[in-house]
Amino acid sequence: MSEVVLETKDLSMVFPDGTQALKNVTLTIKKGELVSIIGPSGAGKSTFMRSLNMLNKPTDGQIVFEGENVLKARGKQLRQIRRRIGMVFQHFNLIKRSPTYQNVLHGRLGYMPSLKGGLGRFSEEDTRQALEILRRVGLEDQAFKRADELSGGQQQRVGIARAIAQTPSLLLADEPIASLDPSSSENVMTYLKNVCQEDGLTSIVNLHQVDFAKKFAHRIIGIKAGEVVFDGSPKELTEGITNHLYYSK
Amino acid sequence: MRPYIDKKNKMTQQIYLGLFIIFFIFSLLQVGILDERIFQAFSRVENLLKGMVPPAISEPIDVAGAAVESLQVAVMGTLWGVVFSIVLAMFAAKNVSPHISISYAVKAFAAFVRAVPALIWALLFIVAIGLGPTPGILALAVNSIGMLMKVYAEAIEEIDTGIIDALKATGASQFQVVMQGIIPSIMSIFISWSIFRFDINIRYAAVLGVVGAGGIGWELVRASRVMAYDEVLGITLVIFGMILLAELVTRFLKDRADMATLKAME
Amino acid sequence: MSSLAKQIDTPVEENKVPDMYKDLQRRKKVILKNRLVLWAIIAALVTWAWTGTNFSIAFIYTGTANMAAFIFTDLLPPDFSAFGRYLQPALQTVYMSLVGMVISVIFSIFFGFMAAKNTSFHPAIAFTSRAIIAFLRAIPALIWGITLVVAFGLGPLAGTLALGLSGIGILGKAFADVLEEIDQGQVDAVKATGASWFQTMGQGVWPQFKTGFVAWSLYKMDLNIREAAVLGLIGAGGIGYTLQGNINLFQYQQASVGILMIFALILIVEYTTAKIRERLL
Repeated sequence: MSEVVLETKDLSMVFPDGTQALKNVTLTIKKGELVSIIGPSGAGKSTFMRSLNMLNKPTDGQIVFEGENVLKARGKQLRQIRRRIGMVFQHFNLIKRSPTYQNVLHGRLGYMPSLKGGLGRFSEEDTRQALEILRRVGLEDQAFKRADELSGGQQQRVGIARAIAQTPSLLLADEPIASLDPSSSENVMTYLKNVCQEDGLTSIVNLHQVDFAKKFAHRIIGIKAGEVVFDGSPKELTEGITNHLYYSK
Repeated sequence: MRPYIDKKNKMTQQIYLGLFIIFFIFSLLQVGILDERIFQAFSRVENLLKGMVPPAISEPIDVAGAAVESLQVAVMGTLWGVVFSIVLAMFAAKNVSPHISISYAVKAFAAFVRAVPALIWALLFIVAIGLGPTPGILALAVNSIGMLMKVYAEAIEEIDTGIIDALKATGASQFQVVMQGIIPSIMSIFISWSIFRFDINIRYAAVLGVVGAGGIGWELVRASRVMAYDEVLGITLVIFGMILLAELVTRFLKDRADMATLKAME
Repeated sequence: MSSLAKQIDTPVEENKVPDMYKDLQRRKKVILKNRLVLWAIIAALVTWAWTGTNFSIAFIYTGTANMAAFIFTDLLPPDFSAFGRYLQPALQTVYMSLVGMVISVIFSIFFGFMAAKNTSFHPAIAFTSRAIIAFLRAIPALIWGITLVVAFGLGPLAGTLALGLSGIGILGKAFADVLEEIDQGQVDAVKATGASWFQTMGQGVWPQFKTGFVAWSLYKMDLNIREAAVLGLIGAGGIGYTLQGNINLFQYQQASVGILMIFALILIVEYTTAKIRERLL
């Protein structure tokens, strides 16, 4: 439990228009942790998460993922880092017109030669693996349907399946339940947590619902205006801190 | 204040309506709709119909050959229109264009090409490269580019950036993002617009002969010049059949493709 | 939670997963086979057309090069002294488009109402109207123009009628489709008050029909100006006639004024209809 998976040092990001999205974020995430980042919208949760796999580029600081300097990585090296970080999105971001199993197989693209992956020549082993993952998230009956025929909750489970197909060591989930109704939210969070525990995954989940965070996470980080203002166990998160996070100026 | 404004709006509307009616009546006079010929319309149309029925085709082989040529011109015009539109759309769509100024330049080119009718293009190509099916093919291709490039570029511009992020996050290469993410997302829009354009091109191909660019249109002009009314109707029916046939074939192919996909996804 | 736990507890059914893979292979084969057939048909069509028209890739290059040479050496610079000669035909093109549009709108309202299942008097009338509309639509305006020139002689009258006729094919279908999609509840509500057929149409149908009516009619105007510009090529009036005269006489620098005017006409009409659309909708 003590091995460090991810470390950020003085991570800062200033948008071209001058907005400071992140201010000196220094965090250490250990193996097997289920971390939830909470905070009001616009606090920088998404920006932080998207920085970790370089979907946006921080202006200053350092990210070390399994001993590799993420911000220095380019081209092939960056792709090899990305394939070890699974990501789940608020709007699922599935290829709507492709079948479900194909969307799961996309998780293998980072492990394939560019041409072979581009042409969709997935190996039998990968395909079997993808179908097995779909079974794990309870979607074996939907495997051949087009992704946009699935309900929101099911689509998000496909999103989780795609991330798991990467056999990642870190799973990022950016507001995974913000576009779902309460019962699907519960369901998706359960699958997410189970999958992480079974595979011993480290995961970081952005949430704006504090109750969900308290229920699912081992550790909660509160971000406000781009700065870390709370870092502790769910028990330590008192109502006073929540109010400070969400309501005070 | 309010009733006054309403009254004023109503006044302006009535003025516009009045101007429109005056302009319309003026136009009526200008196009000669009140010409004595229109009052003889019944006898003229009666004469025409008498001459037309029964429809006839004096040289069936020539007419069939011309109809086939029209279809071939439509196929080739659509093929090259689609090919060039796909390439140019990559430069026209803001999110994939190498530079924003290139995007504007290509879009302005498309707007210009679109605003000149296909038949005028055919006329110009005939002068530039001579008679035959080739000027017709090129005219249809150019005219198709004007329309298809615009809709293709719009389809590319409307791609959800989320899917690009999602594939990038799996460690996919640029080529893989395009092949596995972008193309599957825009393919169906591309296909339906291309089919729609093919239907348009068949209609154009049928009339290109009017200016000498090959095909069945020329047969029709020839028949009308010698006042062979029965042949005019005969060839018109052939054109009608040709257009219908082509539409049925494209619809059949599209349905077949959709059915197979449905069967594989149920 | 519980369902997943159960799945983990029970041993994985050995035969289930391999079955799915085989199923997937079978489905992939269906799609692949279908795609191959489609591509084969398309390839056959292209080969047929390619050889039939004696096409060669080189034509694309020579065509573009010759066109560029033609534009830069013959068409340019435009000889604007021809402007006066083009003005009258250009205006005539506008008159033709407008009258053609009004003709097709009037007849299309009639045919549209007759063709729409919910406003027609009888299914047989609806079917007949649909058939007439389909026939009118299938034949391009220029073909109508050729026939009508035979009947009414050269000049804008034939062109105007051709625009009107082919317009019924487009607008008649559009109007009928719009009418079929209106909310019957509102119409029934008006009917229930004891309104006559005309009152029902005016109070129940028209408010729902108006938007589609205006949009399609203006779209027809946009189409008409393009068609009218080329109807002159067959002697049915308008700017195309003068243009062809110039081209036949090799007066290309004057012809380019004609092309520019067609270009301008189309843009002006499209701009105007866009403004009217904005105002009315």
